[in-house]
Amino acid sequence: MLEGKNLKKQYHGREILKGIDISVEAGKIVSLIGPSGSGKTTLLRVLSMLDPANSGAVIFEGQEYKFPMREENIIPPWPRISVVFQQLFLWPHLTLKENILLPLGGVQESKQMEELIDLFQMRGFIERYPNQASLGQKQRVALVRALVLNPEYLLLDEITSALDIEQVGIILNYLQGLKNKGVGILLVTHLLNFAKRASDQIVFLDEGQILERGDANILKNPDHPRIKKFISLIESAS
Amino acid sequence: MSILDIIINYREGLLSGLLVTLELCLIIWFSGLVIGTLLGYLGAKYKIEIGGPSRAISFILSGIPVLVLLFWLHYPLQAMLQININPFLTAAFALSIINIFSISELVRNALANFPAEYNMAAKVCGLSHKDTFTKIELPIIMRQIIPTALNIQVNMLQLTLFASLISVEEIFRVAQRINSIIYKPIEIYTALALFFLLICLPLNGIAIWFKAKYTRNISES
Repeated sequence: MLEGKNLKKQYHGREILKGIDISVEAGKIVSLIGPSGSGKTTLLRVLSMLDPANSGAVIFEGQEYKFPMREENIIPPWPRISVVFQQLFLWPHLTLKENILLPLGGVQESKQMEELIDLFQMRGFIERYPNQASLGQKQRVALVRALVLNPEYLLLDEITSALDIEQVGIILNYLQGLKNKGVGILLVTHLLNFAKRASDQIVFLDEGQILERGDANILKNPDHPRIKKFISLIESAS
Repeated sequence: MSILDIIINYREGLLSGLLVTLELCLIIWFSGLVIGTLLGYLGAKYKIEIGGPSRAISFILSGIPVLVLLFWLHYPLQAMLQININPFLTAAFALSIINIFSISELVRNALANFPAEYNMAAKVCGLSHKDTFTKIELPIIMRQIIPTALNIQVNMLQLTLFASLISVEEIFRVAQRINSIIYKPIEIYTALALFFLLICLPLNGIAIWFKAKYTRNISES
């Protein structure tokens, strides 16, 4: 299990996370929704320990990391925990294919990679450089870069924002397959149908606090007026 | 007397001037690239202790004309200290200082502005520090600094002409002496221009090629 307890994070004196409790179990999908600036991306970075919390604890497979703590005392949990960032951060000097291959440590070809390239329909652009690819193409590459490392926990930040319905469907099916294999997934998304279909738990975050959590019903019948407003805004926009 | 005649007739003098220019240039290039890179790296790592003073010196140097610096080191400073240093060494020192601080600023800025997110992506992919440095940081930074560093080196080569003004027997001074004998300024200075073009154009060409080939690839991710 990957768990965060009472996680707090400040940037420049502004409190971004105000004591978050969250857990992602193996073989479960948790969707994190909330308005822009609510702290979703920060939560992903803090929970993955890429960005240490100011206080609170992260528990990964029984190992507890209490913050604040020195970075060198963290036993690197990556790529067992893997993150796909919203901004993707593909290395610009490498082709898209090299971006996937580099973390594989000199492996020239990977069967899994080749399968994923075909599955996500990437064959036509995989030899391009990041600046020659569209956002949707880069989103798929960043996802595959994480998937080929076979993570136990996968934290995904808005990775489908530039994809069409067909590609979102392919990714959703693939994530459900991963879930069945025991991978724990935390998914930041604005796609409510995607969240409803995929998630075991939905967590609504606003201004650094969790307002509500539960199954897909919290999106159908939300208690909190803030969530009602957010859902109606998203539905009217889509 | 044609350009070719001048080159043939005064080949020994031109060759010795050329060798002095190249020797001067090699010292300036080597010291600038090696010490400047090291200083830039240390300046990025120790921002206050080394980066601060290094930036201050670069800033001050950027406001002093090369000729003034060269003259100041050659005449008043040596007079004050009551020493007499070979003009070649004075010129090598002055131009090396300029090159060192130009390169150090270039390297320091490239390191300081390196997007930390690329390292974060490497970390999350499980890459070691060594792999992150050699396969991600270094190639990206090199692609950023090489074109500008080459342009700076071309500029340094051209600045070696000022050394003639403190009596260094480099190629420009030799050309001036030949001209004072035969008074063929068009031919002599055309030959000199051709010499500089021969060295500078390939370097500029490489810089443009580098920029066109690689800068495009790191413009966005």
